[in-house]
This record gives sequence, C-alpha cells and structure tokens, in this order.
Amino acid sequence: MKIAVCIKRVPDMDVKFKIAASGTAVDESGLKYDMSDFDGYAAEAALQINEKSGGGEITAICLGPDAVGETLRKALSMGIDKAVQLKCDAVPFDGYAIAQALAAELKGGNYDLILFGRMSIDSSNQSVGPMVAELLGLPCVSAASRLDVSAKTSGTAQRELEGASETVSFPLPAVVTIDEGVARPRYPSLKGIMAAKKKPLEVKPAQLGAVSVTVSKMELPPERAAGRIIGEGADAVPELVRLLQTEAKVL
Amino acid sequence: MEQMTTGNFVFAAVLLGAAGFFSFNAQRLARYLQFGTGAESSRVSDMPTRVRNLLVIGFAQSKILRDPLAGPLHAGVFWGFIVLTLGSIEILLQGVFNGFSYDAFLPRSVFAAYTLSQEFFALLVLGAVSALIWRRVVTKPKRLQGPGTHQAEAIFILSMIAGLMVTLFLMSGFASARQHGMEPGMHPIGAVLGRAFGGLSDSTKFAGFAINWWAHALLLLVFLNFLPYSKHLHVLTSLINTFFSNTSGPGTKGAMKPMDLEAEGVEIFGAKDVEQLSWKNLLDGYSCTECGRCTAACPANITGKLLSPRKIVVDTRARLLEKAPVLAARLEVVATGATHSGGEIGGDAHGDAHGGGHAVAEVPAPDAATQAILDKSLLDHYITEEELWACTSCRACVQECPVSIDQLEIINEMRRNLVLTESRFPEELLPAFEGMEQKGNPWAFAPGDRAAWAEGLSIPTMAELAASNDTPEILFWVGCMGSFDDRAKKVTVAFARILKAAGVNFAILGQEESCHGDPARRMGNEYLYQVLAKAAVETLNGYKITTIVTHCPHCFHQIGSEFPQWGGTYEVIHHSEYLERLLRDGRVPMQEEDNERLVVAYHDSCYLGRYNDVYDAPRETLRRALPILDLVEPKRTKDRGLCCGAGGGRMWMEEKEGKRINVERTEELLATGAETIAVACPFCMTMISDGVTAKGASTEVLDLAEIVAGRLALEAARSAS
Repeated sequence: MKIAVCIKRVPDMDVKFKIAASGTAVDESGLKYDMSDFDGYAAEAALQINEKSGGGEITAICLGPDAVGETLRKALSMGIDKAVQLKCDAVPFDGYAIAQALAAELKGGNYDLILFGRMSIDSSNQSVGPMVAELLGLPCVSAASRLDVSAKTSGTAQRELEGASETVSFPLPAVVTIDEGVARPRYPSLKGIMAAKKKPLEVKPAQLGAVSVTVSKMELPPERAAGRIIGEGADAVPELVRLLQTEAKVL
Repeated sequence: MEQMTTGNFVFAAVLLGAAGFFSFNAQRLARYLQFGTGAESSRVSDMPTRVRNLLVIGFAQSKILRDPLAGPLHAGVFWGFIVLTLGSIEILLQGVFNGFSYDAFLPRSVFAAYTLSQEFFALLVLGAVSALIWRRVVTKPKRLQGPGTHQAEAIFILSMIAGLMVTLFLMSGFASARQHGMEPGMHPIGAVLGRAFGGLSDSTKFAGFAINWWAHALLLLVFLNFLPYSKHLHVLTSLINTFFSNTSGPGTKGAMKPMDLEAEGVEIFGAKDVEQLSWKNLLDGYSCTECGRCTAACPANITGKLLSPRKIVVDTRARLLEKAPVLAARLEVVATGATHSGGEIGGDAHGDAHGGGHAVAEVPAPDAATQAILDKSLLDHYITEEELWACTSCRACVQECPVSIDQLEIINEMRRNLVLTESRFPEELLPAFEGMEQKGNPWAFAPGDRAAWAEGLSIPTMAELAASNDTPEILFWVGCMGSFDDRAKKVTVAFARILKAAGVNFAILGQEESCHGDPARRMGNEYLYQVLAKAAVETLNGYKITTIVTHCPHCFHQIGSEFPQWGGTYEVIHHSEYLERLLRDGRVPMQEEDNERLVVAYHDSCYLGRYNDVYDAPRETLRRALPILDLVEPKRTKDRGLCCGAGGGRMWMEEKEGKRINVERTEELLATGAETIAVACPFCMTMISDGVTAKGASTEVLDLAEIVAGRLALEAARSAS
C-alpha cells in the first residue's frame, strides 16, 4: 500500500517554556525537538500496515526549515522508505496555509492512505489533517485509535468517544488522523539508523497558502499563589473551613 | 634397550592411530574457533600479566582453591596429572621401545625421586577422584546440577581417571613381584602389592603386568581421544584460555568492548549467533567443564530467575559444535573449486557483523537438515531474551570462574544484538533510553533541575570558575541519581558538606553535567551510549579536567575505566577512597569521641568491588569516622558480595520472576545484627532501603558520606551548611 505520513517537528514539552522577545512565540533557545507524539503513532501505524501486507511504500512528509531533516531521519530510521521536506523558513500558525502546501505535495502522489497525528502537541489545532482531506476531496476519519485497511479498497477505524467507542468504515484512498492506542512507536534500531542515512530525503519548496491566522500574543499561565499555613492540629480547622467558604469559595 | 617385539609394533600402530585421531580433532576444534570474529589485539597485550595469570590462576589454581572442599581435590588431580604425565610418556615409550626406562638416563637418586613422585601423586589423584565421585553420586552439591550439566559424562571421566591410577598401581605391584630391581623405598605401594602378589606363578605375574600395562596405556589413549568429545575438553584448553583471558587483567577490568558503529556493510550488530562472538568467547565454551561456580554465585540464579551463566557458556559451545561442522563443510565445497561469485556460506543473505573473513562464494543450496541448522541461532533457539535481561552485570560469575571465562561478555554482546539490530527489549527500558537521549538522565527529570540540590550551598560550577580563570582541586561529578533522586540528593549534600568542611576547592558541572550513558551501554544500547559518552568527554576535556570525584560507582567505573575509549583520561576517585584519604590526612574536622558503640555492616557495590577492586577504602573510611566501630560482614562479602539487584540496567526493569534480589541481599545484611547498613552507591541505597522496608525492619541505611558528615565537628558542620 502506498502510504504518506505527515509529521511535525515539535519541542520537548517537559520543560519550563519562556516567551521569546517578540511576545508571540516561545523562546527556542535550549529546547530539544522530536517528532510530535501522535505523528509517531501514525508512522508506526503505517509501518505495521505494510509489514502485515508485506509490501508497499511509505513516505514521510514534514514542513519546515532544514532542522526538520533530523525528524525525517528519525522516521526513516523507524523503517519508513523515503522522506520529503517541504521547505519554508518557519512553520506558520495557520493550519490552512500548511494544509495547502501538503495538499499540493500529496495531490499527484497516488497515495492509498494519508496519515496524520490527531494533532500536533505544540499547537493542538487538530486542523491540518481534515483540511488536507477537504482540499484533496478525500474521505476523512479523525482521531482513529484502531485502524484496519487490510481490504485494500476500504478500511475501518475505531474512534474513542466519551464513555463509548464507534467503528467507522471508509473507502480508500482516505485521510486518517491517528490517536494514541494504535501502536506504540518503535524504538529505531542501530540497523535502522544506519539504513536511514542512505534513504532518499527530497527537499522541495513549500507551496504555503496565504497566512490569515497569526498569533498576536503569547503568555505564560499566572504563577500559582504561595500557600499559607493557618495553624496546626484541630484548632486550625474552624479557620480553615471559614477561609474555604469565604475566600476560596469552594465549600 | 631390547629388541622390538610384535607387541611393540602393535602398540606403535595403536599409538600412531590415536595420535592421528587426536590431532584431527584438535585441528577441527581449532578451526571452528575461526568462525568467530577475527583477531583481537587486546588478547596478546601485556605478556607479563598473561604469564602471571597462567601461573597463578592456571598452575597454582588460585581460583579453584576458592572452594575449600572441591578446590583442593581438583588441585590435587591437576597437579597429579602434571607429574604423572612424565610417567605416561615413559609408559608410551615403553610400548614402542621394549624395556625403555628413564633409569637408563637418570642418576639413581633422581630416578628414585621420580618413581616415588609417581606413586605419591597417583595416590593423591586416586584419593581426590574417589572423593569427587562420592560427591557427585552421594552428596550432590546444588551447583553441579541444573541445565547444561552432563552428570553421566562427569562420572565416566572420573572413573576413567580412577582406572588409570588403579592400573598404574597394579602394574607397579606386578613389576615389583617380578623383582625388576627397584628398592621398595622407591615405590612403597608397588612393593606392598608386590609382596601380596608374591605367591602367584611367574606366568600369572607376567600376565598381570602385561594386562595392566595395556589397560593403562589404552585407557590413557582413550581418555585423550574422549576429551574433544566431552565437557572435559577443559583439560586441553583451560590453560590456554586463562592465558588469553582479560578478566583478571591485562587491560581495564570489566570495561565493555567498544563497537565500531560506522563500519560499512554491517547488518548484524552484537551477537545473534556464534559467528558474531569472538574466538575467545568460543574458546570459553570449550574451556567450561560445567563446575557451576558461576551459576552458584549469580544473584539472578540464586533468586530463581532463568539465567544461569554456565548455561550461557555451555549453550555457546553446543551451538558452535552444531553449526561449525555445517559451515566447515560448506567452506570445503568452496575450497574444492567452485566458481567464486554470489552466495553466502552462512546460508543467508546477511553480511557478517565483524567480518569473519571467509570468502564469499557459490555454495550449493543446503539440504533440509542443513538449512534447519543454519536457520537456528544462539539467540532465541538456545539462549532466550528472558535469560539475557535477568543479568545484573554484577560480575560474580566472571570473578568465580576458575578458568577465566567471560560469561558477561557473551551476555553483553547478545544484549547489543537485541537492542541495536532487533530493537527488542523490555518495554520499561524505552522511557530510560528516551530519558537519557532527550533529558540527559534515565528518569527523564527536567535537566534544568540538575543542580537544584546545590541551591544556597554556594558551590561554584566549572563555567563560573573558568570565567574567573580558576581551577578547582577536584571536579565533583554528581551523577544522575545524586542530582535528581531525593534520597541520593541527601548523600550528595552530605558529601559536599564534608568537602567544604575539609577545605577542598571543588566545583560541579551544574547543568552541563549529563548522563555518560553507562546504563544505555549495559542495556545493550551502544549507539546511545556512544553519543552520550562522547558528549561528556567533550565537556570534561573542554575544561581540561584532571581529577574527578564521584559518589556513584557506576559513574566511577564508566568515567575511570571506559572513557579512555573515547579520549577521556582522568584520575577518577570514588568518594569512599577520597573520604578515606581526607580522613587519613586529618583534613576533616571530626567530633570528639562519644563512646557510642555502633554495629555497622557494609554492603559492597559490584562496580566498586569486583569491577575496580575497591574493598578496603569504604571499610577504612568507616573505621576512621566511627572510632568504636563494630564492623560486621554479611555471609557473602567483598569479592563474593551479593549484588543489590540494580546493575546492568535492572534498575529500570520489573523483577517479576522469583525472589527479589534486593530482599535476598537485605536479609543477609540484617542477619549480621547490624544497627546500620552502610552503602557506597546510590543504586545500592535504593535497593537496600527498599529491602529493609520490605522486611519491615527499622535498620538505618546510610551512605558513607552521610556517616562521615554526621560526625563532622559542630563548628565545621555549621559553617559548611
């Protein structure tokens, strides 16, 4: 099966972010980057589909500056066959502009399946996958936690709902965005890392659409107020109850 | 010398046949070793140490003698065999040259000493072998049982040795009865037997001698030719193995082999099968006689895990003896003139990781039986993942092996294959790998918090000192545990307080410190390890560091013993040694004697002890810090100490099978009646503290630094905190 996996390079989330001088973006100094978590699930899902059927080709596509080459290499080291960088100076916030660039690349590619992560973990827009599907006129399933496309012309996917799950059917080709639960992304073996160095990584200019949505201000959540010790033991209870009622207004 | 008889001709023919068959087998086995990876320069380095190992471990049997019962018995047989070999040569020559005797060449006194020595050692061997048979049949020690043992074969071999000795005595007895002209004092046992045989007719005496001579000589040749087919091959290879082994030096003890990750065309990293093991690993297989000392010392095996270091070695031999004949036969086909293109000896399309150096040539398609052998591999078909991941890399097996086998190297090479080639490892390891890769520590703590413990202690960082052109006396390498683990951070602070009280000019790397990758290396992830180690070396070399002190034995071993592989050469001192030095030099202001008697048990860390031979410094530190100390030792201690269970990446793995190793160890420590358990490793600290909690005990577990810091003079303690 010919599969495309669209991935994004995102900063490691487990750090204390600082706002850049511009006030509209995070300060990138000292940040470490990796493939967005859900995109890792999407890559793993693609690999498992083709391993099961014993054939096919998977292309990873990533939009951004040259630094995304590292993220694409990681995808290649997992076992993905080839990579395409859609080069642009910076990744815009506007998902529609990105979707247009991706759609332009995917259009002539004859892909049976186009996978995305459910959302990128840095901007959490959840928009690019469905927009690409719309631009290409393909059916779209979002947030699939299970995926079966063994029928070659159609597939089924399971989606998690609040307190339930639903199974949907769709014809191929299709766009599916992947939720966690499909499969844990594999750890690249050294063999994979070595092989990745020899796999093709094509660089093309990104045909971004017009950017209409921009970030005007970014701020950190307010610092938590310091705690207060009102006393010790049973004597402090009445005061605590009073403050919880009057000040915190939680009782 | 008399005329050659028909008997001489017959024997000469038998001898020639036996020698030929033996030589055929010896060459066959030597050839199989070549299916391993090629030459290793590290195996011929430092000849004086190798000769010393050969003499001390080999001939003087130093490791064999660590077992107080079986040790002397084996040494008796071994030394007996060496002396009796002289007699065997005489007997074999007698067989060819009628009437041959050393008597003709030696002064009478020397000859007398020779004959006496033969009887003495034959008696020694007979006694020892009888005791060893008794042991196998009646007392059955646990370590001689279990997977990878050949009981019947062992008893057969011991019986053969006993047979050799009995025929030797009977031969001597009949010879004495026939009055061959030796004084009774030259062969007292033969003389006694000779008197007993005195009443027999001359022809019976002659027949008795002839029968026993032939029985002895033939038994000797059968024994020699049985060796290559048995576990007793060690008779031939163990001295050679001891000579080429690096487990007791030369080189850096316990340092893992660096891998060339850039090598072109490599498809298999680490060892999946015997061809990816070194010839030395394969020789280890030949040299194992299944004594089980390794398995008996293995913390995983003791607590009911599947791992048995003996099985690892025995499996390696079994797989070599299964696969090598097939490979040899296929090479033969090539050698006898096939066209040279395409195909692969190993029957698969993959290249060889380390390049066995065999010609790639057209080989006919293997038949089904051959293909079945080629399709198997040492990994999975003999040794399972579960066994490999159970290893704590504590080195107890390596320490115990009397013939210097390196069981751990085979385990490590196979772990490398699992991780680097197949990406197969317990799922708990993934967060540890990712943590090291992305956060520079295996628990994925925020790197920004690395020096949080030092806040308010006014400890300079290297960057700060470099900015003011200052150089510290030592760099305090804190380690990931010491930086992030709440319990270990207390040790870090205690040690920093001592350094300050002693007026040591020291610095830390602060946020520039990052994991050196040792856990990754021990878990088989050499790629991640090399990335981290090289980065750490770059940081250290950037500041031209010369002396490093650390309280983590894993950091101590990695930086001290393995960083030289990446161009990082420093004097690395474990805090137990550094504390001892400071106390000895009187640099630490200590409290006055308070007459409080304290019973302390010290738990040896494997990476401090067996890896780096530091046993005395921690104990001496305790003695100096606690003037009226009652230092008690657990059942297993020093180079026999039991691992806490955290090494070899086990810290990050669940322990699902059997008893928990830390509980086993804690029980031993508690059994000493100690009020305090002293440790010198943050990993041991976690494991033993958990063990104490699991046992519901209230015994304190303290690091050496905490014990010393607890006795700092009040003034000094106040100003240092």
